[in-house]
Formats: sequence, C-alpha cells, structure tokens
Amino acid sequence: MDIALIAQMAAAAVLAAVIYTVIGIVPGTDETAVLVPITLVLVLTGVQPVVVLAFFISAVVANNLMDSIPAAVAGIPGGVMTSPLVDHALALKKHGLANLSIRKMAAGSFLGVLVSVPVSLLLAKSLIPFASAIKEYANPLFLAGAVLLSLMSKNKWLALASILPFSLLIEGLRYLYWGTGAVPKDTMVSISFFLGITIGPVILTLFELLNWDKRESLKRFEAKKIVLKNNSYERKQLNPFHVMDKRECATGMLASVIGCFTFILSPVGVTTFLGELFASRIKDPVKKASVAIVGMNGLANATYISGALIPLIALGIPLSPVAIGPANALFNAPPVFTLKHNMHHILSGGDFVWATIIGTGIGIVITYFIAIKYAQPICAFVFKKVPHEAILGLFFGLVLLLAYMDAGWMNVFGVLLIGIISGTLHRWGVNYGIMFMTLYSAPWLVTLFH
Amino acid sequence: MFRLHRKDLIEVWEDIVSIKELVIALIVNSFTTMGGYFLAPNDPPKPLLFGLIGAMIGFSLCTILIRPKRIFEEEERGE
Repeated sequence: MDIALIAQMAAAAVLAAVIYTVIGIVPGTDETAVLVPITLVLVLTGVQPVVVLAFFISAVVANNLMDSIPAAVAGIPGGVMTSPLVDHALALKKHGLANLSIRKMAAGSFLGVLVSVPVSLLLAKSLIPFASAIKEYANPLFLAGAVLLSLMSKNKWLALASILPFSLLIEGLRYLYWGTGAVPKDTMVSISFFLGITIGPVILTLFELLNWDKRESLKRFEAKKIVLKNNSYERKQLNPFHVMDKRECATGMLASVIGCFTFILSPVGVTTFLGELFASRIKDPVKKASVAIVGMNGLANATYISGALIPLIALGIPLSPVAIGPANALFNAPPVFTLKHNMHHILSGGDFVWATIIGTGIGIVITYFIAIKYAQPICAFVFKKVPHEAILGLFFGLVLLLAYMDAGWMNVFGVLLIGIISGTLHRWGVNYGIMFMTLYSAPWLVTLFH
Repeated sequence: MFRLHRKDLIEVWEDIVSIKELVIALIVNSFTTMGGYFLAPNDPPKPLLFGLIGAMIGFSLCTILIRPKRIFEEEERGE
C-alpha cells in the first residue's frame, strides 16, 4: 500500500462524505438509487477498486447518518432506512428535543461504525473457510428471513400470505425476459426490481390519480407546517460518549454487534425489529425514543457495513441484501467486474482493511461534525428550496434509467408492475424488509414446485 | 402560482405535493434523464454518466420551477 494510493483513497472518502451528506439530507432519497449509479460510474471509468471501496464505504456511513437528520427536524424520513426511526424522532421533537435527537443520531452512527468495522472484518475472516457451506444455504436463509420478519410484523398473516405470490411475480418477470430474449439467460435482473419495490407507494399513487373517482376522493392536504428551532450551536458536546447514557451506549453496541451477525437479513427489517425490541422495554417516552434512535442509527451502519464487507471478503458473490442492492456494483459491473472476477478476487485482505478503515474513519468524522454543528441550517435550506416534486421526479428518472439499463423498455413496465403490487402490499401493512427478502429467495423458492 | 389552500395537494411519501406539478416533474425528469442516456456516445460508461447529468439537470429545473409546499415557523430558542 503506497502513499499515493492511500492519498487517493482518502480523497475519494472525503468526496463521498461531502456528496452523500447533501444527498442524504434530501428527504426521500432511496439508498440503492443514489449509491448504485455513482459507484457504477466509478467502477466503469476504471478507478482503482480499492479507491472505489473507500468511496463506497464512506458514502454509506455519510448517507446513513444524514438520512436520519430530516426525521429529527421535520419528521420526514431521509430514506427507506430511516422510516423505522421517524416515530421516535417525532417523539423527541414533540418534547422540543430535536437537537438532542440529532446528537444522539450522530453518536449512534459513531457507535455503529466503531463496533461494526472490527466485528465485520473478523466475522468475514472467520467465515472464509465456510464460504461454500454458506453459499449452499443462502437461499433457505433468505426465505427463513422473510418468514421471520413476517412473523415479527404487525400483519403476520397478510405478510406470510404475500410471500409466494410476490416471488411468482418476480420470477415470472425474469423468465419472461429470458424467454423473449430481453436479457441473456444467465442475467439476473435485480437492482431495478429492488427499486420497483421501494418506489411502489409512489407508483401506486400515480396510477390511482389516473382513476377519476379515486382522484376525486383522495384525501386533500394543506401545505406541511414545519417548525424550525433557531438554535445556535451550543455547548461543545462533541464527545459522542457524553451524548449517550450508559444504557443507550450498551444497547447501541449490542444491537450493532447483532446487526453484523445478521448480515444476511434485510437491513430495514433488522433495524426495525432490533430497535423496537430494545426500546419496547422502556416506559419513559423520551428515554425510549433515545434508546431507539441510538440503536437504529448504530444498526443502520452495522447492517450496511457488514452486509457489504462480509460477502465481498468471504464469498465473492452478492449474498446479502446490501450486496444485492446498494453494493451490487462492487460485485457485478460488466465488463470490469463479473461474478467470477470482482473486488473479492482482486483485492487482498490488507486492501479491504485499509479501504474500510479510511472510508469509515473519514466518513464518520466529517459527517459527525457536520451533523452536530450544521445539521439544522442545512436542513432548513433544503426544505425551503427543494420541492418534494423534484425529489420524486429525480427518483422516478433514476428508476427509469436503471430499469432500462437492466433489461430494456420491457423492464420499465415490469418495474411499474412490481411497483403497483409492492405499493399495494406496503399500504396494507407488509413492510419493505419482507418484500426484499422475498425478492432474494424467489429464484430458489419457485424451483421447489417442480 | 402558489397558493396554500389549493385543491390539488395530496400526500405522497410523508410529504405534500401538488398533483399537477408532480406530473410535470415526472415528465421533465424522465425526459432529461433518458435524453441524456440516449444522446451520449455509445461507449460505456458514458451513457450512464450522461443519464446522471440529465437527472441532475431535470432535478435543478424542477427545483427552480416548483415551490415547496411547506410553511415555516421559526422559533428563536428551543431546549
């Protein structure tokens, strides 16, 4: 590892932290939609793999922390990963503690990074001998994940009943594309399906608008009222361990460690489940929300870092929700990376450690300071200037682009179809985590019926 | 152009949008993003890069053209 390369990695990490600080704070930016295209561009332009990895890891850390800021300030989720957190952030905001909630988010993220980097690296190293066994059991594990998340959710029976039909939809489309030659037989369309699920509620609403009766009966709203606190930056509370009490700190760490071991499950699902589990035993509303916020921010980082690193280091094929979604370009970006020749095969153990430490270190330090010092003014600026329509439009454009790149025009409509179904299921109470796990287990699930 | 008590404000994804302006934003962004993709020289990753630039142009256009449906109240000091 020479100095020039380390400097490049550091520069990439700084760049990622700055870009994803802005993207993260913009509400409604889905992690996969914003991480995949830019990583893909870097890989395809021939940037050194180890530099791309540092960029990606820093982007993940920055995006995860900044995503939660709009929840603290306005109760609007910054992305899919922060939707579990909104209720708790609103609880603190109601008590006039929006600033405290931002500090706890930053501290939770810091904790998550601190715990998940060593745990993920060690776990990845110790899993290398079992790589083939894990590859063999990944599919049943995905299904078990979907079932488990269903059983833990509020609408258990609905969620369970939706697993098989939904996997038929996914595989139906894939076989259709293979059959009509839209994509070659060995190409697995994933990213755009993933995005179709995420954007489902928006697609469903758009289709409803085309129905006149529905459109007339849709609930009308008034402009959203947002109260901004004009807090100047006070008390030099930069030490993350002063922001949390012992209980929050312990829960955050424990949750992050568990989050690393459950890398094969959906990050949103794990974050919701563990966060609520740890918070549910506390009565006091402020303390409850604080524990949930610290825990969920830690979990967001832990699930993402472990979900990207462990399959990269130990397996070489995308075998976790994060690897299939946001980190996909690190595994599969033809012609530079293929499933037989990607970062796993190119980078050494030392490369992975360096890229991870530089990426997470720079990412968390920069965003931690920005979050604590400037989060409120940046947030106020974004809310005043950026209309929600522009964000939805941007997201829609990106989904269109990635859908077309995955499998042509047919897939644009395929993704719309997935959006209508997943949007309906989501509205009825099936959470994203269950649908993502179903998406991952679908190829194997349909072969059980031969 | 912007009134606070308009009839076409609905909620999508936890925030308020106007139906008409949402449709405009979707069309503008689809057009600039896919336009960028197809206009680019056919030499990967240029189409993707041009598509992303198109997406940013569409986003900026919408940000200028459309006003956010949010009312702000500032409180001097909290906590």
